[in-house]
Amino acid sequence: MHFVRCSVICAVAMQFAVLGTSCAGQVAPRLPGELVWTIGYDPKTFDPAKVDDIDAETVRYLTSGVLLRFDRLTQKVEPSLAQSWSVSPDGKTVMFKLRAGLRFSDGSSLTSRDAAWSIRRVLLPATGAPVADEFISPGNVTVESPDSSTVIVHLPQRVIGIDKVFDEIAIEPADRPSEGRITSGPFVVSEYRRSQFVRLRRNPHYYERDSSGVVLPYATGVRLDILNNTEQEARLFLRGEYDLIDHLPPDYFEMLSKQAGSMARDLGPSLNTEQMWFNQSPASPLPAWEREWFQDRAFRVAVSQAIRRDDLARIAYLGHATPAYSFISPSNSLWYNPNLSAPHTDVAAARSALSLAGFRWNGSKLADAAGHPIQFSILINAGNAARQKMATLIQQDLAALGMEVNVVALDFPALIERLMHTQDYEACLLGLENVDPEPNAMMNVWLSSSPNHQWDPSEKTPATPWEAEIDREMNRQATSLNDTVRKQAVARVQQIVADQQPFIYLVYPNTLVAISPRLQGVEPALLEPELVWNVERLRLQGSQ
Amino acid sequence: MRFHRLAVWLLIGLAGVSLAAVLAPGASYSRQDREQPFAAASPSHPAGTDALGRDRLVRTAAALVLSLAGASAAAALTTAAAAGVGASAAFATGAGRWLILLFCDIFLALPWLFLLMMVRSALPLTTSPARSAAVTFLILAALGWPACARAVYSGVLELKNADWMLQARAAGLRRSQTLLHVVPNLLPLLLPQFLVSVPAFVIAEANLGALGLGIGEPLPSWGGMLLELDNSAMLLQTRWVYFPVVLLILVLVLMEAILVEA
Repeated sequence: MHFVRCSVICAVAMQFAVLGTSCAGQVAPRLPGELVWTIGYDPKTFDPAKVDDIDAETVRYLTSGVLLRFDRLTQKVEPSLAQSWSVSPDGKTVMFKLRAGLRFSDGSSLTSRDAAWSIRRVLLPATGAPVADEFISPGNVTVESPDSSTVIVHLPQRVIGIDKVFDEIAIEPADRPSEGRITSGPFVVSEYRRSQFVRLRRNPHYYERDSSGVVLPYATGVRLDILNNTEQEARLFLRGEYDLIDHLPPDYFEMLSKQAGSMARDLGPSLNTEQMWFNQSPASPLPAWEREWFQDRAFRVAVSQAIRRDDLARIAYLGHATPAYSFISPSNSLWYNPNLSAPHTDVAAARSALSLAGFRWNGSKLADAAGHPIQFSILINAGNAARQKMATLIQQDLAALGMEVNVVALDFPALIERLMHTQDYEACLLGLENVDPEPNAMMNVWLSSSPNHQWDPSEKTPATPWEAEIDREMNRQATSLNDTVRKQAVARVQQIVADQQPFIYLVYPNTLVAISPRLQGVEPALLEPELVWNVERLRLQGSQ
Repeated sequence: MRFHRLAVWLLIGLAGVSLAAVLAPGASYSRQDREQPFAAASPSHPAGTDALGRDRLVRTAAALVLSLAGASAAAALTTAAAAGVGASAAFATGAGRWLILLFCDIFLALPWLFLLMMVRSALPLTTSPARSAAVTFLILAALGWPACARAVYSGVLELKNADWMLQARAAGLRRSQTLLHVVPNLLPLLLPQFLVSVPAFVIAEANLGALGLGIGEPLPSWGGMLLELDNSAMLLQTRWVYFPVVLLILVLVLMEAILVEA
């Protein structure tokens, strides 16, 4: 019987061990003048050319010197290592003029040879740099350095927004890739302890100075603790161990608002969207009648009309989200279509549309014309509280139409396996992070031939006339030189998506952050990295 | 003894009150009162509401009923299976016995939690929450019998070789009739095995729920409700989030008390 007692007690203890993740965090000591915050996971690489994950991207942003910097606040491209640049009228030649006296962090000179080498390396297929795709045909791009301060890039065709692409290309010493140990950016990787932290120290040869002539960056270094636990992160922030939190879930934001007042800040709707969609792929193993529901516009519109987005924002996000009807957030004022006509909540209209489309009610349960009851599951990724709540709210909203919905939480790898490979799912609720306000960056979602065209990936030819029209309009905006034409094309795509509801947009989550009052110089922006985009100008109060 | 009886009556009373709370007119564990998320205790919601405005008392009561009913059914199944396998091993001879015991040992060595997770995640996506709850407890029953079967095997062997059994055999009791006399004498062994399994299955289901693989929404489960404790932001909203864990501990303590006497 002792065994029984022990096993029950141990099981209860294990339960709390699973739940109780709020043990006191052990953090490395802070060096004088060092800024500290967290990244979720170990960066997969320190090679700036191979960055493909958000944590490695953070390290690249903090360490890399780039020819041009996309200002996250003004959303304009500014000169950085390049003193000036020009794009030829045909858009096929970009010429950079480097600043004089540039040096790498080890003191060696930075010349156009280094810049040309860095760009060529990114374009090489062997490097596997994700940014290479943005050149459209990277194999045909040539780079030359006619003198020590001039770099010329020849493109086979015009690329819209080509100057912004150079924000992602780190300039490294030619023939000496160092994985962030020798850089031309504000910081240098100095120490990495797996699963603990990445420490960056100031680059003593960084070129930039402030208006008073003081050499930047102000901070002596940055420590990025590797921590994927908001509970612990919030506690350590409150203890003053961390200087900022850049992505807060709404419940923790509320907690910090109560405990730390103005340190918690709601920056308004982000560029990101939360949406659900139905699997329309003919390659999916779903029964034909089920696919027919999902391919029926009336069905999708009725679902969209039944969802109470205000409740999703108010309950699932505690008011820190905005109801969404388009893939462009109102924060992206340049591209947002304010005249969009989208189906809003109207259960009566949804019921009559379903009725017209041949759906029937057996009692309170909805069935199709052949009598199949309308039952389907919505996949979400396990561990995302807001999505779990949204799915449960939608479950009840759709019950009002007589639809029976199962909410299924899967771990991320299992979810991706179903979405990208087996396509064995009915509906899915996920978010899309938009790091770029430019609609061109969303080509991979909207082109029907794309594997990321989630509702029907990799179509050989557009399956419907409206998908063909989206293809045409997206290509029009990608190739036109006229801003008005581009805006018209993007507005048209927004209207088609609102009419057809291949993605049922739910909310734009607000950007929620916490900033220590000791941290000076923060100018929050909506684009990544929201709080540290001007890291060279951040410093702790009282530090030199 | 008095505490034992009190524990039995308390547990029965708790289950009865929970059942009454679930079946009360107007009670619903899934209805969302969207105007009252995280509401404090009130006459309409005696334990307040959860993040979606659902009545916390009804949900906790439903979780208790579901968990106790499921765990009891699974424990009954597992005890019956163990009795069958254990007795078969004891009555088998040579290779048969060896094979049955080997089968038990292999089952004992399986990483049951991962197996459980694999089977649960392999269920069709359209499996309804009620059916997935039933499947969860069935799997628990299917995985829980080997340790119990080992105990039954030893018990049956002891009974087979007991003096009264030898005397009965000598007096002419046929081998096929032996089992009829063994089974009633096994009850003092099977009852504790059954009682041991119930809290173990309650905990197993709660663990699965805490891993996000438990009973699906909108059915309430202890594991799902305990997940709220992982979030200190939630704890600040309302102290009623402790309600399910207090009830779970109470149920486990009562079961402990019953077990000690059994």
